[in-house]
Amino acid sequence: MTLREAASRRLLLAVLILSGVFVALLALGFALAQDLFAAEGVDDLERDASAAVLTILGLYVASFLSAFLALFLSAGSVSSEIDSGQLHAVLARPLSRRSWLLQRWLGLAIVVVGYVVLLAGSVLLVARVTTGYQAVRPLAGLGLMALQALTLLTLGVLGSTRLSTLANGAVVFFAFGLAWMSGLIEFIGGVIDNVGMERVGVITSLLLPSDALWRGASAGLASPAFLAAAGAMAADDIGGFPFAGLTLPSPALLTWSLLYVPALLLLAVRTFTRRDL
Amino acid sequence: MTAPPVAADGLVKHYGERVALDGLSLRVGQGEVVGLLGPNGAGKTTTVKILLGLVAPTAGHAELFGLPVTDPAARRRVGYLPEQFRFPGWMTGAGLLDLHGRLAGLDAAVRTEHAAEVLDLVGLRGRERERIGGYSKGMQQRIGLAQALVGNPDLVILDEPTSALDPIGRRDVRDIVRTLRARGTAVVLNSHLLSEVEMVCDRVAIVDRGRLVRSGRLDELVGGALELRVRLDRIDGRALDLLGGHGEVVASEGTEVLLLADDPAAIADLAAELVGAGYGLLALVPLQRSLEEVFVELVRAGDRDGGAA
Ligand SMILES: Nc1ncnc2c1ncn2[C@@H]1O[C@H](COP(=O)(O)OP(=O)(O)OP(=O)(O)O)[C@@H](O)[C@H]1O
Ligand SMILES: [Mg+2]
Repeated sequence: MTLREAASRRLLLAVLILSGVFVALLALGFALAQDLFAAEGVDDLERDASAAVLTILGLYVASFLSAFLALFLSAGSVSSEIDSGQLHAVLARPLSRRSWLLQRWLGLAIVVVGYVVLLAGSVLLVARVTTGYQAVRPLAGLGLMALQALTLLTLGVLGSTRLSTLANGAVVFFAFGLAWMSGLIEFIGGVIDNVGMERVGVITSLLLPSDALWRGASAGLASPAFLAAAGAMAADDIGGFPFAGLTLPSPALLTWSLLYVPALLLLAVRTFTRRDL
Repeated sequence: MTAPPVAADGLVKHYGERVALDGLSLRVGQGEVVGLLGPNGAGKTTTVKILLGLVAPTAGHAELFGLPVTDPAARRRVGYLPEQFRFPGWMTGAGLLDLHGRLAGLDAAVRTEHAAEVLDLVGLRGRERERIGGYSKGMQQRIGLAQALVGNPDLVILDEPTSALDPIGRRDVRDIVRTLRARGTAVVLNSHLLSEVEMVCDRVAIVDRGRLVRSGRLDELVGGALELRVRLDRIDGRALDLLGGHGEVVASEGTEVLLLADDPAAIADLAAELVGAGYGLLALVPLQRSLEEVFVELVRAGDRDGGAA
């Protein structure tokens, strides 16, 4: 059912325009930096490193934007339909609740994944055209970013089968914020060799692997220059770059994340089919 | 024998402590127009939601066309206008009807043709290309009604379809329900508007406090014991005896008495007896009780019992 896509047509249009502005600004930033470097005669290595950092930050913003889109689309994905009574009329048709929910999720998932690929792809393309940026594993990176958005989307859909739109939006937003914080705590724990802090991060990635997935994604989307620079920082005990990861996710995390989405979806179907409307 | 559109037995629904339904049974036959009538909070909406599988009953069993309501296939021939509906404003009327046509399993070509037909029926022809967000409240209710009619369902469930309509709109809804009845479509109409139910329903089920307190054909409900105003040229013991043989004299004033007749069919006999005994029969007026009186009486009686319990 493409209902939701149509419902959010205006939202999507606004999001697309703003995202376009963001990519354009990024492109302008790259162009200005290139000119500056050329004028000051900065050497290639340093130029590549700073372009790489700018690209990763751009992707970081892209991952945030995708996460927010997933949150907005999913927060009221079920609850708002219940509130409007629209769902009652639709479910009075010979349609099972499960298939309604799965179609709903699928429609949203297509929008969200499409958005991630489009936005992160544009950032990579702009970086490549202006600075010759090359990601080490672009497809794996994009896939992991999409998976990150999907975990949030699915969590939002699950919450929406039970909670009001507002409560659900708040819950998913806090969960996302906590995952982000624990990612930082884990990073700092790694730098100062604090096992407890690292454990916090691991446990949170089990509960909501969004930040862990971003860290994996960024490792795939980084350029060799970025990995070398950040790796050198890490070796220097400065600790590396706090907002991105240097290694692709472990098989365990990847498996967990891949199971996470269908598991949450299954739970959503269960709660939705059992509730009164 | 085909299974009836609605067969519900002993429906109970608890919302936490609150008892919304307390053993309600309902049967709607093919092509029958049944009004569910009851005061606010009586359990009318809860009942139809259970029939549509939207709410799971705490106890009891319900079937549509012989299929349990938990089976989506039970809703293959059903249309529903929810009590509270605000269709997405961004959708056009035509879009909404098309969606429901698709859900009802109609082919694309049939859908367009069919949509035009139901738009005609609800009086929205020509406005279907506009967004529902721009519709007036009554128009929104009309498009909701149209949506429920998509797919020519054999059972149409309308939960207070006229709450937002002007008098013309109400009459239109009555006409639509009559059209449906003429087509042989069964209709369940929730309402607390007695006049509406009175005018279109074959049968009325009065619901109060989650129970069916009375159900029957309209003339049975308002009929039964019939009140008669009788005026004779004189009243004496013999006259009262004669009257008492046909019912209960509830009041008398001068030469006029109010008689609660046991058997409305025996009015003619009463008249013959009075005249035969030499009384001048000046007036014999049946006072038809209106559905409203029956309704108010039943609900009041429920109040007293509820208070005593
Ligand atoms: N979701 C719910 N949670 C708790 N109580 C509910 C819920 N839905 C209905 N009720 C209660 O169940 C009872 C019956 O409600 P219902 O909506 O079926 O009444 P109704 O006959 O449709 O009334 P109205 O004429 O006002 O529409 C009411 O007491 C109501 O408070
Ligand atoms: Mg109601």
